[in-house]
Order: sequence, then C-alpha cells, then structure tokens
Amino acid sequence: MMAFKRILAILIKEAQDIRSNSNLLVMYLMPILFTYIWENFIPDMPAGFGAAFGLIFLVVMVGMYVPSMLIAEEKEKNTIEVLMLSPARPVEIFVGKGLLTFITIIIISLIINIMVGLSFNIQLIIIIATALTSLFAIFVGMIVGMISPNQMSTGVVGLPIYLLLLLIPQLSGIGISGVDFIARFLPTYYYLNILELTLIDRVAISDLYIHFSIIAFSSFVIFALLLYIYRQKGLLD
Amino acid sequence: MLIKVDNLKKSFGKRTALNGVSFKVEAGQIYGLLGPNGAGKTTTIKILTGQRRADSGQALLFGEKVFGRQEELLKKVGIVPEDANLYERLTIEQNLTFFKRLYQCSDELIDFYLEKVNLIDEKKTKVKSLSKGMKQKVLLVRALIHKPEILILDEPTSGLDPASADSLHKILLDLKEDGITILLTSHNMEEVDKLCDRVGFLHQGELVASGRPVDLKLNYSDNRVKVLYYSNEAVEENLVKKTLQLDDPETGKFIAELIQNGRIKSIHSLEPTLADIFVKLTGRNLADDGF
Ligand SMILES: Nc1ncnc2c1ncn2[C@@H]1O[C@H](COP(=O)(O)OP(=O)(O)OP(=O)(O)O)[C@@H](O)[C@H]1O
Ligand SMILES: [Mg+2]
Repeated sequence: MMAFKRILAILIKEAQDIRSNSNLLVMYLMPILFTYIWENFIPDMPAGFGAAFGLIFLVVMVGMYVPSMLIAEEKEKNTIEVLMLSPARPVEIFVGKGLLTFITIIIISLIINIMVGLSFNIQLIIIIATALTSLFAIFVGMIVGMISPNQMSTGVVGLPIYLLLLLIPQLSGIGISGVDFIARFLPTYYYLNILELTLIDRVAISDLYIHFSIIAFSSFVIFALLLYIYRQKGLLD
Repeated sequence: MLIKVDNLKKSFGKRTALNGVSFKVEAGQIYGLLGPNGAGKTTTIKILTGQRRADSGQALLFGEKVFGRQEELLKKVGIVPEDANLYERLTIEQNLTFFKRLYQCSDELIDFYLEKVNLIDEKKTKVKSLSKGMKQKVLLVRALIHKPEILILDEPTSGLDPASADSLHKILLDLKEDGITILLTSHNMEEVDKLCDRVGFLHQGELVASGRPVDLKLNYSDNRVKVLYYSNEAVEENLVKKTLQLDDPETGKFIAELIQNGRIKSIHSLEPTLADIFVKLTGRNLADDGF
C-alpha cells in the first residue's frame, strides 16, 4: 500500500523547493519559448511543427533533466538520508518526486496546445501521448540521477541518453541506415510519430493505439528497471 | 537492551573501519561513543540505522536488525546526522513540516523545541542563511518532533557555542528523564563525562575501553597524589610541589610527618580525566582534533 499522505508530503516539498530553483525553472520555460519561435519566426514551417519541436523537447529534456537533478542533488547534499530513514517507502519516494515533474509537463503541454490553437480532439491525443512518454522520461531521469554521484555528473551520464532519445527520432526516415533501426526501439520515436500524425496528417486516435501501447509498455519496463537498480544500488553510496 | 552492537566488522576496500566492535545501551541510558577522526563512530551509527551493511556481526535496535526493516523500526528513532542534511532552499518551518508529514505525527512539538533552542523567531528563515550552529539545532529539533524512543546523535555539539552546547545538554538530560535512550558520539571528553552513563572509547575501529566514567577513572587511576608543602618554615620560598605514589609505604609516613609538623599546604588526588585515559590507551590526544 502506498501512503498517499507521504507522497503528497514529498510533492508539496518539491513544489516549495522548485520555486527558488532558477536552474530548473528556466528548463520549464524553454519548450514554450522554442514553440513560440518556431511557430512565429521560422518561415515555411508546416503548421504544428513548432508545437512538435517544443513538445519533444519538453518531454525529453524537462522530463529527464529535472528528476535527474532532483535526485542527484538530494544525494549530493545528503538530504536523501532524511527520506531513506523515514517511514517513506522507495516507491513512494519515486512517485512523490516524479509527480511534480509529471504535473508540470502536462500543464506546459496544455499551454503549448493552446498557443498553437489546436482542436480539442488533437489536444486530447497529444496530452495522452505526452503523459505516457513523460513517464518514461521521468523514470529514465531518475535512473540517471541514481547512477550519477552528484549534480555535475548528471550531465555527463545523461547527455548521451538525452541525445539518443531526442535526436534519433528526428533523424529517422531521412535514409540513414542504423538510425532507422535504433529508432524503432525508442518510445520517443513513437511519440514524435504520434505528434506528426496528429499535427500534420490529422489522423484519429483509433489509429494510434499501437503507438500508445508501445510507449506505455516501455514506461512500465523502465519503471521496473528503476526499482531493480534501486534494489541493487540503493540511493546511498 | 534497546541498542546492541555485537562484534561488528566493516571494511572499505583495504581500509578497516570497524574491527569487532561490541557494546550495549540499556533503556533510559545515555551512551557516549568517543574517538578521534576516523575511529569509526559514524560508520557504527550508519550500520545501526541500516544505511550501511556490516561485513559481519550484528547491530540491533529494539532487539531487531534494522537493515531491511527501516520503515517500521526507525519510526521510533530520532537521528541527528553528522552533517546538516536540511533542504537549504526551504525555511526551518518547511523543513520541519515536511518531516512531520513523512512521519505523520502532530506538530505540537515543533514550536516547543524551537522555543527551547531559541530558534522560534527564525522559523520563516531559509536554512541556507543559517549558521552552522543554528543548523545543528534544527537537526536536533527535527530528530525529536516524532517523539522517538531512541535518539542517536553524531557529534551533536560540533559547531555550537558553549551556551548552546549547555542547553543541548539540558535537553538531552530532560529526555533521559522521560525515559528516552540516547547514543551519542563526541570528541569532547568533558561533555561525555558530564552526560553519559556509560562511555566507549573507539580507536581505529576497536573499542579499547568501555564502562561508567567513574569506573574508568578508578580503573585507570594510578593512585597518585599531588602534595604541596613547605620544606622548612612556612614561607612562600619554601613551597614544594611533589607527586607521590599512594601505594608506596613511604608515602604514608612522609605525609604523616608533614601533617604533624603542620607543613602541608594541600593534597590533591590525581584522578585521571577521560582524556588522560584516552591518551594512555591510544597514545593519541583527542584535543588535537580541535574540539
Ligand atoms: N564511504 C567510505 N568510503 C571509504 N572509506 C570510508 C567511508 N566512510 C568511512 N570510511 C573510512 O572508515 C573509517 C571510519 O570512518 P568514520 O566516518 O566512521 O569515522 P568517525 O569516527 O565518524 O570520524 P569523525 O570524527 O571524523 O567523524 C575511516 O578510516 C574512513 O576513512
Ligand atoms: Mg563521524
């Protein structure tokens, strides 16, 4: 049984904490800024493309970077000890810490949707896809935070993973063999695919069930991996 | 027996941190673990609280192994860690409230203890702008608000000014009155002498001596007295200081003679301090550590 009160306690703490953490706040603004620039200043942009760019940045960079920093910082400053010594269970700690990132990603994706003026149906698809993919990203970010000894090294550990998840999907389909092959294994590839299909081709939600399932399955697998690494390694060195 | 450590061993690579440490703390007592830097105090505490695994031996709280059962057992334990692991961007109050919510206890004790450590007016101050000693006090308050039965403190007075250290001592003695069992580590021999029912000297991962401070002092006393007397008539120039061995038959005669002739100015028994005993046992001086 997860204790909802403890998860809520961690969520409130994170919310109080992030308000004065300018590093992370800037990260949240970037996807909005990118979408705005792409939509308004880049000529000959297919409609919706700016939103796609902002959203994938949001999911991968915010979704992974923020939790990795939050966990690495707690480790670096030893505050993780407070959580570990408390009655909070590991699952509660991960859920509590991930929840704020998850909620803010949903809010920002809504802002982006509204900025580019999407219809309700399209918005719904995008929110579902964003929610599922951000779960994946958040769990990956937590793994990065867990295996990095401190905040500085989350960059080094995380960068190859960020690039893989962010660039490979965007480079696929332009004829680089290998890239296309790897892309099939990345949930962000299916996410980008959903964005293109809805924003540009306007397909219906019923055509996307397989995409959704693949992303949901990857999130589940990565969560299991997160708990496994936690069991092996713990949060304290 | 609320705390029991039995033949605990722990190495970090080639370095041995604990080499068979055993001690017990009975309910309602204060136990002081003394030792220089690197002696293994923090390692012992971390194993006791399940944050590290021992290579061998046992560490029990409430008669049970902590590792793997932290959630249940540590609810009843208050811990003041060696370094101030507070959320720096949050205020004192936010830190304590977060802790309270994690433990799902009431917040009646937050103000009570903040008052005691003189921090009630700083409640809304962010932790990052507090001094080291103030942070140390917040750690103490945090360790107490869920009414623990066991309190474990790793160098609780480091960074405190003498008045604050005194008020911490008073709090600890009050808690002892309430029946709380306390384990603390320290470099400060006087503090430990004053507070603890029993002490253990840790040196290079081994407990080189343990017991009640009075017993230790008796055991390690070398039965000497310091005599201040006049070698001739009672004027300042004739004042002589001499250390005499009590178990030497000559000493009794000598002192008796001095007393008869009215030439004694003073006699002091040379009871060793805990610090003396420590130096004797280890050849190291704790005071060198700058505390
Ligand atoms: N994480 C670690 N990795 C490697 N060695 C360690 C680690 N933690 C402790 N040690 C070693 O274990 C020994 C005991 O350290 P410990 O921190 O328990 O000492 P201590 O008595 O608490 O000292 P201090 O008074 O400085 O706090 C030391 O030799 C230390 O170098
Ligand atoms: Mg220590």
